Amino acid sequence: MKKLIIPFLLLAALVSAQPSYTGPMPVPPADTRPDTLRRAYHARVDETLDWYLHAIDPAKPLTREQALVKLVRGQDAAAVSQRIIELLSVPQSGDMFWMFPWTAIAFTGRDQLSPEARAAIREAWRTYFPMRGDTENHWVMYYASLFLMTELYPDDPGETWFNGKSSAENHVEAKGFLLHWMDLATTIGQGEFNATHYIGEYAIPMLYLAAWAEDPAMRQRGRMMLDLLMAELADNTLHGVLRGPNARTDDTSVLERWNALATYFSWTMYGHTPPPSGYGGWGIYFAIAAHHYEPPPLFHLIATDREFDREQRDHKRSRRRWRYSDVEMMPVYKTGYIRRDYAVGSYQGGVTDPIQAHVWDVTWREDDPRGVHNTMFSVHPHASARVLQMYFTEYPDWMIDLLASQGKPSYGVPDKILGCSPYEQVFQDLDTVIALYAIPPGENFQRVNGFFSRNLRDVTEDASGWIFARGGNAYLAYRPLAPYTWDELLGYRQLPRGNSGYAWERFRPEGPVDRILVSPHANNGTIVQAASADEFESFEAFQSAMRALPLEFTLEPRPTVKLTTLRGKKVAFTYGETPVVNGQPVDYSRWKLFEGPHLNAGLGSRKITISHGRQHRVLDFNTVTTSDYVTP
Amino acid sequence: MMKTLSRTLLPLLLLGGLPACAAPAHDLYLFGAVNVTGRVIGSRDVAKNGVFVRTAEGGFAHRGINYPAMLGGAFDPRDARVFHVAAICGVLTTTDGGFTWRIGTGWDMTEPKAVAVDPNAPDMVYAALPDGLGVSADRGHSWARRENGLPARGKYTQIVTVDRTAAGRVFAGSETGIYLTEDAAQNWRRVFPTVDTVTDIRQSPHDPKHWLAVSQSAGALVSRDGGLTWAPLAGIPHQQALYNVVFDPTRAGRIAIASWSLGLLTSEDDGATWVFRNDGLPEKHRVWRTAVDPDNGRLYAAIDGGALYGSDDFGRTWRPFGMEDSRIQSFVFVPRAQR
Repeated sequence: MKKLIIPFLLLAALVSAQPSYTGPMPVPPADTRPDTLRRAYHARVDETLDWYLHAIDPAKPLTREQALVKLVRGQDAAAVSQRIIELLSVPQSGDMFWMFPWTAIAFTGRDQLSPEARAAIREAWRTYFPMRGDTENHWVMYYASLFLMTELYPDDPGETWFNGKSSAENHVEAKGFLLHWMDLATTIGQGEFNATHYIGEYAIPMLYLAAWAEDPAMRQRGRMMLDLLMAELADNTLHGVLRGPNARTDDTSVLERWNALATYFSWTMYGHTPPPSGYGGWGIYFAIAAHHYEPPPLFHLIATDREFDREQRDHKRSRRRWRYSDVEMMPVYKTGYIRRDYAVGSYQGGVTDPIQAHVWDVTWREDDPRGVHNTMFSVHPHASARVLQMYFTEYPDWMIDLLASQGKPSYGVPDKILGCSPYEQVFQDLDTVIALYAIPPGENFQRVNGFFSRNLRDVTEDASGWIFARGGNAYLAYRPLAPYTWDELLGYRQLPRGNSGYAWERFRPEGPVDRILVSPHANNGTIVQAASADEFESFEAFQSAMRALPLEFTLEPRPTVKLTTLRGKKVAFTYGETPVVNGQPVDYSRWKLFEGPHLNAGLGSRKITISHGRQHRVLDFNTVTTSDYVTP
Repeated sequence: MMKTLSRTLLPLLLLGGLPACAAPAHDLYLFGAVNVTGRVIGSRDVAKNGVFVRTAEGGFAHRGINYPAMLGGAFDPRDARVFHVAAICGVLTTTDGGFTWRIGTGWDMTEPKAVAVDPNAPDMVYAALPDGLGVSADRGHSWARRENGLPARGKYTQIVTVDRTAAGRVFAGSETGIYLTEDAAQNWRRVFPTVDTVTDIRQSPHDPKHWLAVSQSAGALVSRDGGLTWAPLAGIPHQQALYNVVFDPTRAGRIAIASWSLGLLTSEDDGATWVFRNDGLPEKHRVWRTAVDPDNGRLYAAIDGGALYGSDDFGRTWRPFGMEDSRIQSFVFVPRAQR
């Protein structure tokens, strides 16, 4: 907390202080009437916009974002017009990250900008050729932008667009992809699910469609997809903090769970956590159109009500596999269990995204999550050129070297804690997780890394083999199935970027550091059990309860665990076999698109029901309708 | 732009440029990017990328749009202003020599790795796709899949090459082997199986029945019967990926292979023996592509993240030819008669 107070005091003197980031933890409003929630939502949006306006230095030219915010506020259209012409007078770059900001400026400024500025924007869409990219979020940004811009300029011939296709051709193509993506997401699930950062790359384009699409069906679909994204966010966050599993996260967010762009959306939508620094960077591009959208009150209730325990099961899919796989997209069976004090989440293991997936964790509640590494999990530090080739259309031998220079420093290091492995299989029942590993000979790293946060308290290596710890108001028990040692987890410090791209050095952070439990054994496993401190008279009582649980395990020839969980479930799990609970094999074929107290949908249904108590919202992509109802 | 030009031209000016007597019969097009190290999608570009054309002074000048992910080009033999490029967003076609472009493919085809024009039916264009094979019958304007005979899974295709002696006879190098069609991709059959990706397939300019292929883990392959049967080529390491293979059009029997891990290998006896030719290349001799100039037999080695190097003694000595910090994805020599 101290490290937050000091910058707060410094920033307090500045006009451009970011109030909610540096201020105290927000308290969810007791008054949840729609008008109160609506006012609070729009006030948070305005805070973001104000921060950008206040940061304007009259002595410096406006940034693109500042120019955009001025348009949102209807200020200085002439000066903004001139600045836009200047911004576009130099070579452009940024690909699809260029497209959506300029789409936002084109639409926000269409009634304010000078004819010359509008002409400059239009001309840029002829002369600058953005790449479409190789990732689903790239395509959503690319095609949503192209869809909107070709509606703004509907009759233009091919020679006026960067890609040589006419407005009509581009419009049809953009619509085709967007419908395809929405169809996938509402039949077999999102690919980049629960992404800590990339949620913005989906939410922003969907907001723009909802705000500006002329086609009423696409406008409605944009709003419905945004509803789905925000409802999922509400359901998957613990007091505003998105926890695992995540199709994609990064070396920072996987530890400091709050520190993610997803938190910006939690804050904007529901106001129950502080926003990240700078409103997450891309947050401004949501804020500029956020007045066109309001989350329904029932989403707020889903996000903030953590007074009853709940389990949610969702069907997702992996990133597209180009080669070396019998399936194009691996089905993902995702489990989430949330209680007031902690959340446990997982998918079944395997590779969903080859670099940035996060398979499972226990994340506990902190009164103030800023700067706190409030999570526990283990990983096999897998790195493989062949697996990268499944997902990327690249040659094998240079990719691992390249990733660090492209901003992903941990991919090829033995002590990494980010990523997934083809040799990890996971089963979760409520707040028990069993992760088994069978790492074949020849793999680079014959070890399992367990993450032990610097913020854990009372870490105790018990003679029973369990390691006990406290995180927030949660009790945690971690059982490594093979011998281990401890290492400090070093950080990654970015060096000045030179000709070799991103450069990094490892460093030991000041003060208490995170540790990794290093278990250098190929056949291996981790069991984690979480519980609320309120369930036990003492931490010692929790430990006694854990020691008393029936547990058998073997590692040869394959890891096998038989455990009676703290919740009384008899779980048997062998690597390579279907988990068995109370004598019944888990039937993944019956997994629905969404199943739980808050989100429900059948696989392939295109129809999602979002609920809290008596309130319901149905997103029916078959009929492109949203309907709300209240059960008597 | 001036900075880029000066950087690429300067070494040549210092070295005296091309031999004074050389009046190239071919234009040389490079497809690739400079300032590549550390670049990711969405990066701010500080240089122009995509198509580079050899200048009269021997340097390389960027042409047309800035596009950092162009992989390979194929020219229409009737008119060199018309060519097609495999780019990350699809197949781009230009009809004005690379100044303006149109994407012929839609959202359902992406990241083509190579493109080829049938010299005997030049309206037919083939694209190697990460999920199969795309064909255009109208000079790249529209595209459709023709994958009958390819497996449902296992059809990642890295390279497509047309037999210059027979219209509609095309080879595809995929993750499961070499596939052949003899009816313009209406039907494919596998002529050689592999467990990893076939990265390049080339036809000898001296003997149309002689073909070479290189791969990710099966080493180099040779065919002497027009690609109907293939056999491993002895003496080539197969532990590391081989990226491309070229015949020297000026002298039969000379062959070169590029490899990011191994560097450059050459043979001057038609593949019977092989020699590493990395002396004189940067210590990290990460050769992304090699090529041989059909006008003078100059051997090129494009170093990934480094410069373009050339050798006039088939790899015994090297000198830089500009294009620092580049990734040259392909060389295309276009007869000036096609202009």
